[in-house]
Amino acid sequence: MRWGREKIETILPHREPFLFIDEVIEIDGTKKVIASKNIKDNEFFFEGHFPGRPIMPGVLIIEAMAQASIILYFICKQEIAKTNPNYYLGKVKAEFLLPVFPGDKLILETNNVKIIDEAAVIDALARVGDRIVAKANFVLGIKKSE
Amino acid sequence: MKNNYEEEVKTLVSEIIEVPVEKLMPDADFFKDLGVDSLKAIEIVAAFEKKYRIIIPEKDIPNIRNIRQIIEYTRPLKGH
Repeated sequence: MRWGREKIETILPHREPFLFIDEVIEIDGTKKVIASKNIKDNEFFFEGHFPGRPIMPGVLIIEAMAQASIILYFICKQEIAKTNPNYYLGKVKAEFLLPVFPGDKLILETNNVKIIDEAAVIDALARVGDRIVAKANFVLGIKKSE
Repeated sequence: MKNNYEEEVKTLVSEIIEVPVEKLMPDADFFKDLGVDSLKAIEIVAAFEKKYRIIIPEKDIPNIRNIRQIIEYTRPLKGH
């Protein structure tokens, strides 16, 4: 099963230029989601990070993994997710292993450690091809919209 | 009734909620007395599930509110 932007935009509140998921490429029940993002030459952040030497900022790799984590939450808790709650990052432990450049296809894997109505613990990794570029453990909070 | 498991539980919880072990009284309420919120609570649950390879169902989480209840709840699950 693959999900494109149309479906993804019904799940994530993010929009361009801050939507970091192009496609959901694999869903393993409520255990795992794999998504992807093509890192284009003209991404807004390359203009300043860094002029003439474009590298994707690590915090945005975290953001991409976090957005993939929200999709995993959606799969586990559809009734709540369909009410458009607010998602926020409570805690992140991250490790950056390799740089990400224009033209790379970022693969974002998220694994369900524990997901309950109001919170989620998710292990994620980002890779380009077979090379792992970053790993993270997220604690996400979910609050109903006011 | 101090024992190794009680000490293990206190150490694990202490690391997550950043409260010294000596301040973790068995009946201190996580939410009212120790400032635990839903994010810290899920971290505690995930840590116990990982360390002892147990499953704590979501419906049971609100009923585990102090160190004593964690010990009573998890001890039979982990087979000790």
